[in-house]
Amino acid sequence: MNRTLRFQIFRHHPLDPQSQPRLETYRLEESPGMTLFIALNLIRAEQAPDLNFDFVCRAGVCGSCAMLINGRPGLACRTLTASLPETITLLPLPNFELIADLSVNTGKWMRALSERLETWVHLNEEPDIDRLEAPMDADLAEQIYELDRCIECGCCLAACGTAQMRKDFVGAVGIHKIARFRADPRDCRDDAAYYEVIGDEDGVFGCMSLLGCQDFCPKNLSLQTQIAFIRRKLARQGWKKT
Amino acid sequence: MKLLYTDVLIIGGGLAGLRTAIGVKRRGLDPLILSLVPPKRSHSVAAQGGMQASLGNCAKSEGDNEDIHFADTVRGSDWGCDQLVARMFTHMAPKAVRELAAWGVPWSRVRAGVHEAVIHGERVRIQALEGAQGLITARDFGGTKKWRTCYTADGTGHAMLYTLGDRAVAESIPVHDRREALALIHEGERCQGAIVRNLMTGELSAYLARATVIATGGYGHLYAVSTNAIINEGLGQAIALETGVAQLGNLEAVQFHPTAIVPAGILVTEGCRGDGGVLRDVDGYRFMPDYEPEKAELASRDVVSRRMVEHMRKGKGVKGRFGEHLWLDITVLGRAHIEKHLREVKEICQYFLGIDPAVDYIPVRPTQHYSMGGIRTDYRGESPTLRGLFACGEAACWDLHGFNRLGGNSVAETVVSGMLVSEYVADFCTSPEGDIQLSSALAREFLQREQAKLSRLLAATGEENPVALRQQMEHIMMERVGLFRNGAELQTAVDELRILLQRAENLGLRSRQPAANPELVLAYRLPKMLKIALGVALGALARTESRGAHFREDYPERNDRDWLKRTLYRWPESGEPQLDYEPLDVKQMELPPGFRGYGTKNIVEHPDTKARQAEVAQAQQRAPDRFALQEQLMPFRHLLPERYRKPNERLHEPLP
Amino acid sequence: MKPLIASPWSARFDLLQSLSGLFLALFMWLHMAFVSSILWGEKAFWTVARFFEGYFFFGRSLPWLVSLFVACIAALIAVHALLALRKFPASWQQYRAFWEHRQRLAHLDTNLWPLQVATGFLMFFLASVHLYDLFIAPEQIGPYGSADLVWTGRTWPLLLLLLFCVEVHGLIGLYRLALKWGWPSFGDPQRTRRILRRLLWVLLVFFLAMGLLTLGTFISLGIEHAPRAGEPYVPSGMQEAL
Repeated sequence: MNRTLRFQIFRHHPLDPQSQPRLETYRLEESPGMTLFIALNLIRAEQAPDLNFDFVCRAGVCGSCAMLINGRPGLACRTLTASLPETITLLPLPNFELIADLSVNTGKWMRALSERLETWVHLNEEPDIDRLEAPMDADLAEQIYELDRCIECGCCLAACGTAQMRKDFVGAVGIHKIARFRADPRDCRDDAAYYEVIGDEDGVFGCMSLLGCQDFCPKNLSLQTQIAFIRRKLARQGWKKT
Repeated sequence: MKLLYTDVLIIGGGLAGLRTAIGVKRRGLDPLILSLVPPKRSHSVAAQGGMQASLGNCAKSEGDNEDIHFADTVRGSDWGCDQLVARMFTHMAPKAVRELAAWGVPWSRVRAGVHEAVIHGERVRIQALEGAQGLITARDFGGTKKWRTCYTADGTGHAMLYTLGDRAVAESIPVHDRREALALIHEGERCQGAIVRNLMTGELSAYLARATVIATGGYGHLYAVSTNAIINEGLGQAIALETGVAQLGNLEAVQFHPTAIVPAGILVTEGCRGDGGVLRDVDGYRFMPDYEPEKAELASRDVVSRRMVEHMRKGKGVKGRFGEHLWLDITVLGRAHIEKHLREVKEICQYFLGIDPAVDYIPVRPTQHYSMGGIRTDYRGESPTLRGLFACGEAACWDLHGFNRLGGNSVAETVVSGMLVSEYVADFCTSPEGDIQLSSALAREFLQREQAKLSRLLAATGEENPVALRQQMEHIMMERVGLFRNGAELQTAVDELRILLQRAENLGLRSRQPAANPELVLAYRLPKMLKIALGVALGALARTESRGAHFREDYPERNDRDWLKRTLYRWPESGEPQLDYEPLDVKQMELPPGFRGYGTKNIVEHPDTKARQAEVAQAQQRAPDRFALQEQLMPFRHLLPERYRKPNERLHEPLP
Repeated sequence: MKPLIASPWSARFDLLQSLSGLFLALFMWLHMAFVSSILWGEKAFWTVARFFEGYFFFGRSLPWLVSLFVACIAALIAVHALLALRKFPASWQQYRAFWEHRQRLAHLDTNLWPLQVATGFLMFFLASVHLYDLFIAPEQIGPYGSADLVWTGRTWPLLLLLLFCVEVHGLIGLYRLALKWGWPSFGDPQRTRRILRRLLWVLLVFFLAMGLLTLGTFISLGIEHAPRAGEPYVPSGMQEAL
């Protein structure tokens, strides 16, 4: 017997003066292997043609479709309805500017983060690309890739108590990015430089270790370990700075 | 009316668009990137397996160089590609990898000593090359003579896209995301920018630019099931087509990837087979060596895909709830390898199939994957018919891939074409030709036209439902313009698509919301998609031969005599779509047409082939080294931007 | 996002908050060891109390030493509280945002934080009273003096509540410190957290049990001694000397 799912979906169009934030209910027969990607598209096709949501890769790698699924952040595209109860409540991620319904502007936030933390390899000099590349230890390369796997979906921020209270907090995504560049010998910055961008209450010292980030990261990044690591390094940096 | 001016308008924020923007910026011009989604969400991110570049660092790629990469690419294309472009590309690929290495991509590196690998399902031990420790390593991919695909685990596209995305931020390149180019602004044969809709607010603006670059990826989602991101709907090609001036090349060249999971159509990388995974049928039997004894699972993608369907047609498919499929077996690689190098694959299996690929077989079948066709450009990336319009990456028919693309060549193409095209764009902008009077009156005219279209749609009360029409289009493409094609089916497809196009003029919308409104978006995109779909079907119907991924059951032979030419698709502003052809000149080819080595030889020779083969053979005997030989057969270096002309260093080819 | 002005004090405050918390938590463990000496008999507690008055060093009791120590602890608590205040919700919006988040997420580590805030807040008052009592009458600390204060002085409800606050606040604090700084670590982060959580529960039960037993002993001693309230305890060996 297939279940009939009851979706309660947040609807609101901030640009429409008549629109009020509300939950609307849609019913849908569940089919085998149904994901929220499939379900939302069916709802749009059959019941709510103007329902806004974001999917791009629909394979769990692009980070577009994060939303609150029964209160908890997750990637909608790879969430099977079978893993959820009959009533499914979908809300947009809370930390970002609402575009409409389930669609939020994560891109704008992440770009601002990138500008603020300078999340790129700071080069000493441009490479000579005709020559052999500089060697790198194979383990180190793997370690950097491991730190490079963040998909900027925003789940860590939506799961973060601190980020709910302080809109300028960089969150696990920001701190983890610093860990990624700090591990990369190609980036010529030192801890003093990292301290400049992340050594404050909106940066690593704002984190209260509530660890929602660790528990809801769809990529299972070791956020807890990396945040602690950056905290130690930058605390030392701050302590000795006169 | 909102007007924006920039030097170079780049439509598309994936790898190709980003690298183009960086190149343009470094030439002192102002680029602006327009993107449907935040750039790091582009489809480039989904490229798992890797990027081909003939570095020759790992044991199994010893002796590799541009020549071998070039030959693989041309053979892979079934001689359909532009060999000059393939040459420029293979020359540039090592430079691109090395540049990315410096900018932050954590390429997997060579480990010293002996390590284990799986080849043809068996464990073998491989000794690393002397002096290669820490250099960029490579894995095996289909259709290549050497291990040449550079990678970062199975997140190559992600690592590259994030590095370039971050680089674009570092160089203060403005990105306007959640914006869609609705139409190109052009006056006669000169492109001047685009009319752009803000997908959040619905607002239209005109972006005027000296040069416009389209880097919007392919048109996979004309098909119901595709490995592409859902934003790959052929919109970049469509706005070029709708100018009535620009031409699209080889739209019928559509690649089907052998291993997408069933039913979701999500890709599992060719790296699975490259690293030693095998295909099995309903009996658990490994069938590929029976068809292709030499390359087996690592034959070219078009070949493997066809063999799989052939095998299923013999009743050897696995019948499942979602139709027939075959098995991809990577259990042989072992859990450690899968969890380290094929982790995305593991996650996909876990989340979408509920299986563990270290223990279970993965259900796969060939699925639409790549568009070799696109906006026709010259080697500089510019449309030969619409000046100031450039295209690169999958959106273009630069014609690196001809009728079949090798795995790992598309990711490489994005960056390489970005590097090259940005230079040519900059040259163009700084030349007298680039120096034009941008006309705001013209912009206003185009903007009003687009605004009127949208207003009409928002008031439309016709009978047709855009969702239903789209589904029918997807169905037609799947059923009639798929992996195996024939005249009757293609003719039906053409007829049906034409009817859909007519019906699409009679849409009725339920939502009147002018801002963020997915129904409106679908409604105005639908005719664009249909025009591209029609181009694919028309091209396929007309091409009465089989070449690469284009396979005609009624014309199974490759016909060089009549079809060694590129399809050009144009839709004049008033009138019917047209097909034209642009011949490939055998006399100029560095690698004259030959047999790819799959299945039985079934080729109608081109009259010039024999003579050119003889010329080439003669040159080979006389030439002192490979560089001189190449230079004699098909000189290309002078066409490259000056900064990229130097040879590539390798372990076995040190530079002075 | 606003630009940062990185001050070394962000790091220092963060470290000081952690260090003061660590010191106070560990002090409370010792405190528990000292007061629970009543479980070993009145003489044991008397000895501990005299020890802190320097009786065994100077040959006589110097109760002002205890006052001094109490003042130091009070100061440390004030410093810790001031630093911790930085993390409190600063406005109704922040408070509400956090509360809604907490309810949605249903996440243990997130839920522990408001508990810590609440217990910390309560301790402003409870601990002040307790410290004030000790500060003004250090010489009364002894088996009978303390028991009289608990029962006849009617401070036992306050101490009971304080006991729960101290143990919950301190142990959650220590647990969070370990996660925040990444030490101790037991292999991967998930495992580390599982072990730390288990430790947290075990220690909580242990200290609450110890605390309740101790308080119970004082109460019963207080009831017994109520008729003679105010009479100090004199060890049997010393009565003759008097």
